[in-house]
Amino acid sequence: MNQSKENSLKNFLILPSVLVLLCFLFVFFYGVYLSFTDLKLGKPTVNFSGFKNYIYLWKNPLFWKSTKLTIYFTLVSVVTQAFIGVLLAKLFSTKVFCAKIFRPIILLPLVLPPMSVALMWTTMMNPERGVLNYFLSLIGIEPFMWISQYSTAMLSVIFIDVWTYTPFFTLIIYAGLLGVNQEIKEAAQEAGAGAWITFWKIELPFMMPYVLIAAVFRIIESFNQFDIFIGTTGGGPAKATTVYSIYGYIQSFQNLNFGRGTAILFVNWWLVLIGALITIKLYQMARKRVS
Amino acid sequence: MKFNFNLTNFFLNLLVLFAAIIIIFPIFWIFLMSLKSSAQVMEWPPVFIFEPTLDNYKVLFDMSVAGSSNYGTIRINFFEPILNSVIISGGAVIVSLIIGIPAGYILARSSFKFKEDIGFFILGFRFAPLILVIIPMFYLFTILGIKDTYFGMIWVYQVITLPMIIWLTRVYVEDIPIELEEAAFVEGASVLLVISKIILPLLRPGLVGASLLVFLIAWHNFALGLLLASKKAPVTVALLKLLNPGINFYPVMACGLVISMIVPILLIFLGQKHFVKGLTFGAVK
Repeated sequence: MNQSKENSLKNFLILPSVLVLLCFLFVFFYGVYLSFTDLKLGKPTVNFSGFKNYIYLWKNPLFWKSTKLTIYFTLVSVVTQAFIGVLLAKLFSTKVFCAKIFRPIILLPLVLPPMSVALMWTTMMNPERGVLNYFLSLIGIEPFMWISQYSTAMLSVIFIDVWTYTPFFTLIIYAGLLGVNQEIKEAAQEAGAGAWITFWKIELPFMMPYVLIAAVFRIIESFNQFDIFIGTTGGGPAKATTVYSIYGYIQSFQNLNFGRGTAILFVNWWLVLIGALITIKLYQMARKRVS
Repeated sequence: MKFNFNLTNFFLNLLVLFAAIIIIFPIFWIFLMSLKSSAQVMEWPPVFIFEPTLDNYKVLFDMSVAGSSNYGTIRINFFEPILNSVIISGGAVIVSLIIGIPAGYILARSSFKFKEDIGFFILGFRFAPLILVIIPMFYLFTILGIKDTYFGMIWVYQVITLPMIIWLTRVYVEDIPIELEEAAFVEGASVLLVISKIILPLLRPGLVGASLLVFLIAWHNFALGLLLASKKAPVTVALLKLLNPGINFYPVMACGLVISMIVPILLIFLGQKHFVKGLTFGAVK
């Protein structure tokens, strides 16, 4: 009797949180529903329109361009971050003097608001007065247009994203490196394996699960990246950086076409899901290999 | 003492130093910029050594110099967005702690039907497509009349803060040995008593760290404030507005950036240990 009363009280304790989160789930599904309507702000009636928004997108070249940009941005930034992240983790786990004193600053870019980071780089990437062009001029390189030019805008934003989020990989991989079995490593070295072989055959497989778990988080957030684009290019110049989140935002809040906006973002959500699931599968495979 | 010059070590030190400079320089540069006059920002090549001024900070906080400065009629009061950010992020964390700690405890300790499903559902919010949620939210906020209110903002920030608090509580509770609680339950203590008298004191260091981290993540947020608030907009939204006047206004914006960055840097000094754990929902300890 007392036991079951205890249990119902326990269930009651989880209820407020679940209710709050269910509200958001409802809002999410409401957003999905909106993508099947012709909701426009200022238009008096809302009608169910089936797949009309999706068909419109399917036939729209800008949608396909945006698809490419979104996938390109995510893949290039996450892969670059993973690569540099491994190098930095290795570098900072060496016992050299500088590595010890500078270790705490690795996480610095990560704690700054992404919007602040974006604006910070916007001032430094200014084509006329930016300090980056000054550094380039010191080594004899012509002024660079960075985020202000079609051909370089996306790469510049990726550069900012890499600066900001590489530490995320580094931190997690660093934690992983601490767990690499020293005995196996020493045994391998005694057996005559060189530093490179030890790295490729022992350390890297051990690191891989950590790299991939970090990648899952980064893939999700890169697909949804909004702040850094708004703080630098706002989707321009000439739609060079109009990824899904920006495209959906513009459709919704500039063209006031909420139906189309939500449709774009719902497609984006599926991409997020697919990207995350593939990476989680890879993670599980990598983990099986080391255990 | 023998001086041992090792070429590899020298190179490694150099590489680490190089990486450290790339991380630190932009932040240092923005700090310098916040101390420059608007004429100095326009100079080419950029100046590294100059006489610092605090005027930009005065303009940022509208201490009646806006009219007399070179910035003309632009008037900003940055106190407001800072206050908004503190109230919204702080309020959101407190609300999340109140409803999230018991939920996290239950998820860690009791077993019931659908427990793992509920846990997965909560974790799934880490993957929530924020903008997709904001669009209907925008519509609902207008209907409910809670747009641009602290109430509405704190409520909508739960989508970020609550899942993190619940999940981190769960991870921390699982680290606590269960024997103490079992003894208390045998003595006839209720769940609420066990949480408040046994769990909370043991959780405190972890929870303080987690709260700092979650506050920081809330402080980062930009999209929710951009679309659901105007007078109650957070710092990140106010910063974007400072970009519009152009290059000669950069020093004032730099001041805003410095302030928006100092807060998280201070917080992280207090709660560094919990950072990695929190960012990955305890996937990496």
